[in-house]
Amino acid sequence: MNEQRKDILDMLAEGKLTAVEAEQLIAALERGQPPAASVETRPKAKAKYLRVQVDAVENGEPGRVNVRVPLQLLRAGVKLAALIPPQALGKATIELNKSGVPFDLTQLKPEQLEALIEHLDEVTVEVDQADAKVRVFCE
Amino acid sequence: MPQLVTVRVKRPTGRLIRIWVPLLPVAPVLLPVLVLAALVAAVAGAVYRVRVLTALGTGWRVFSALRGTQIDVEQGRTAVLVSIR
Repeated sequence: MNEQRKDILDMLAEGKLTAVEAEQLIAALERGQPPAASVETRPKAKAKYLRVQVDAVENGEPGRVNVRVPLQLLRAGVKLAALIPPQALGKATIELNKSGVPFDLTQLKPEQLEALIEHLDEVTVEVDQADAKVRVFCE
Repeated sequence: MPQLVTVRVKRPTGRLIRIWVPLLPVAPVLLPVLVLAALVAAVAGAVYRVRVLTALGTGWRVFSALRGTQIDVEQGRTAVLVSIR
């Protein structure tokens, strides 16, 4: 939001302007701006899906995996994971440590996972190898 | 809530199999199985001290969120596609 628009909205909030006047001022402001500027200020559409794309060549044959998972499903999954009893999480943590993954699942809070999913749309992972290409992104 | 599950299988011979499963008409057929599953979940919840109603509610949320899921795997001349709409 630019400064002038913010001033108009502030004046509207303070009662110095009526809604009609504020609308007219904003319209006049928009007319005075180049169209490209208004496009830039438009918020980016929120991502809905997590995409995993794998292109690989195995035994000389090309293979492709394309998975699309709704982010809503991940959020629901986090809620489901929150129901796992602490004893089970403790056992899983022990097994992870045995396998060489020092990760304590009992310290992982559902809020942290939710925050991770919220910011997932900003993440893009790309792995390029001679015989395989992996891409993880949100759309 | 998901309405339709589409499964498409392409065999190495080139034969294509497509299956459409409309979930709403199938739901009454699966109802006895679902009731049984809910009972098993209730017993398991009691044993492992998990709130059964919360678990069932979350399970329903997961099911509802399945809409839009698509899994497409292709290897050589074989391909499998599962799409939930």
